[in-house]
Amino acid sequence: MDKERKIRVLVAKPGLDGHERGARVVAYGLRDAGFEVVYTGLRQTPDQIANAAVQEDVDVVGLSILSGAHLSLTQKVMDRLGQAGAEDIIVLVGGIIPEEDIPELKKLGVAAVFTAGITIAEIAEVIQSKVTET
Amino acid sequence: MKTSNKEERMKDDKETVEKIEKAEKEWQEKVLAPRVKRFNLPESPTRFYSPLAVKHHDFLEKVNYPGRYPYTAGNNPFDFWRAYAHDAAKSGYRPDWGGAGGVGKYGGFGTAEDYRDYLFRMQSMGRKGGPNMAFDLVTQCGYDSDSPQAEGEVGRVGVAIDSFRDFQVIYEAYTGELDIDKVPSNFTINAPAAIIIAMYAMLAEKRGIPLEKLRGTPQNDILKEFVARGTYIYPPGPSMRLFRDSCVFCTEHLPKLNITSMGGYHIREAGASRTQDLAFSMAIAAAYLQAGLDAGLNIDTFAPMFTFNAFGGSMEIYHEIAFQRAARRMYARMVKERFGAKNPRSMLIRQPITAHIGCSSTTLQRPLNNLTRAVVGGLAAGMSGAIPGAFPPFDEPLGLGHSLEAVQLQLDASRIMIYEARVADVNDPWAGSYFMESLTDETEAAAQEELERIEKRGGAIAAIENGYMQRAVAKSAYEKQQRIENREDFVVGVNVFTGEDEIEVNVNRVVEATYDPALMKTAEERQKAKLDRMKRERDSRAVSAALAALGEHARDESVNLMPDICECVKAEATLQEMCDVLRDVFGEAEPAII
Repeated sequence: MDKERKIRVLVAKPGLDGHERGARVVAYGLRDAGFEVVYTGLRQTPDQIANAAVQEDVDVVGLSILSGAHLSLTQKVMDRLGQAGAEDIIVLVGGIIPEEDIPELKKLGVAAVFTAGITIAEIAEVIQSKVTET
Repeated sequence: MKTSNKEERMKDDKETVEKIEKAEKEWQEKVLAPRVKRFNLPESPTRFYSPLAVKHHDFLEKVNYPGRYPYTAGNNPFDFWRAYAHDAAKSGYRPDWGGAGGVGKYGGFGTAEDYRDYLFRMQSMGRKGGPNMAFDLVTQCGYDSDSPQAEGEVGRVGVAIDSFRDFQVIYEAYTGELDIDKVPSNFTINAPAAIIIAMYAMLAEKRGIPLEKLRGTPQNDILKEFVARGTYIYPPGPSMRLFRDSCVFCTEHLPKLNITSMGGYHIREAGASRTQDLAFSMAIAAAYLQAGLDAGLNIDTFAPMFTFNAFGGSMEIYHEIAFQRAARRMYARMVKERFGAKNPRSMLIRQPITAHIGCSSTTLQRPLNNLTRAVVGGLAAGMSGAIPGAFPPFDEPLGLGHSLEAVQLQLDASRIMIYEARVADVNDPWAGSYFMESLTDETEAAAQEELERIEKRGGAIAAIENGYMQRAVAKSAYEKQQRIENREDFVVGVNVFTGEDEIEVNVNRVVEATYDPALMKTAEERQKAKLDRMKRERDSRAVSAALAALGEHARDESVNLMPDICECVKAEATLQEMCDVLRDVFGEAEPAII
């Protein structure tokens, strides 16, 4: 892997949930931690997210979801990424995710789930280690 | 009793101040500095406030009695709940059930039938409050349940409303003794608020109920959506046109319906600082007040029907108490001096709660600690003019639905504060405190400075169009996160006191199955089937005609769109059909680049 190339992260808000605080704070934080970050803004469809991920040539896609629609939205994003030939992109999910849904998300292929209380430093560490693994 | 003339009094005051200044200097040298030095600190970790902090404090100008301008000490000497607190205790009154003609618990899910059945269930348990309606994101963003954007979101965070038909189904739970001329409704709706208000009015018309009897509160606060909550449709300008139309319509036809429910609660939860919360709230209120005036209304005919939902909160309760005092004073002064109101009711901040901790202060870790936090907030509430509510229930961050245990603890905490600690027996107990008066002044001054900065840039609407408010909030949110990660701000059980010796105190939670997961699973398909059927059954020519009229009049800014919206509603145009017509004319909002 190209050591000089910064890790590229797409932070995305799928669906209609309009709460951006977490997504913005994570985007700023990861930028300060040395990643290249693109934040999609609100109301992204799974198609738009997959397209942006491919166009921006990201290593990681982070989905921020607080509306309860995380399982169906994540499923769709994973499908579209697969269709776009981008299965190797690491997908992370954050927001309001009930504990019982975390195994479900992992089964869909999500690499890690972040809930309230996590620090940006911890997210950065997880990204570093997951990217190095691949 | 000695009466001194003015000069003597001023001389006395000057002498007193000088004496205290001398005493303070001596204290700093002989008591404070040695103590700070003894502990090797750069400065004292505490502060003390003497009369010097409020040298020219004019009680009548700055505070005055409760119910007297500028309302710093409260809107009135006591609220309805306090009048009957002792009788209520003896009769086991449950205000959270919407007793005394109020609304019930905030809720909503699934299809209109699901929500209606839930309301019937609540009523069978004695909870007869009016609907306090949450709408799904599809409805809040002006889409129908069969649109591509709706997938996975129908009926999730609230009830799905695609047309007047759905609205009427919900109100099958409110007839007879509970009909809408007797029971109020709350609608947490913003971008399509005009449409929901129209549905409420057309429901009354259909039932032969005079519009003047309708009570309740639509949130109808679109400007904060751009800053904090995200359920906007059109750009700020056209959104304000719809606000104006709803404001005029309500003033003329629904005089008992509150027009808006404003306040910086969402903005603070999105990360804003206290100063930003207060300043942006005032700026946004000013924009709505101006909209009413620009429409030719007399300030005192509509301002009394403006309400506040809440401001933000935090664990720093001294500051939150000062905030509430400053907010009341600032709003009263603004409405009186800037907008020329004469009616005292125009100048009041009518809100259901005052100081609180803010839901974002609760933690997922060691959730029972949230009860402790909520009690701190309840004290602040009781000391800032409201019922000492221990809000939110401790399991708030665990997901949707509060457990029976959390609700019971919350209610009992409030009761203990009211009846045992008697926190609410004194109005504005901090009035006259050197500390609190000085802090109130500071809070107001900081917000006033920020408000003037915004007004210089063209007011709230301009500050939103150019992204100023959004950037400010995002920056504050990030700074707060950094302070937590750097351990400058402490959060117990999250970034401090997390070691092995700590115990995870747990409770077996019984979450009331109010929202049946089985119903949630099928809500989307059932809703789409209903929508399909409705489209086949309605008179499509009437719909097209009504939508065409709406579109035509939308292009003329001087026309009030409420009559056209009412016609569309009656013809069973769908929510999205109406919103799309307006999308064609107004365009869609672009998110701010920050």
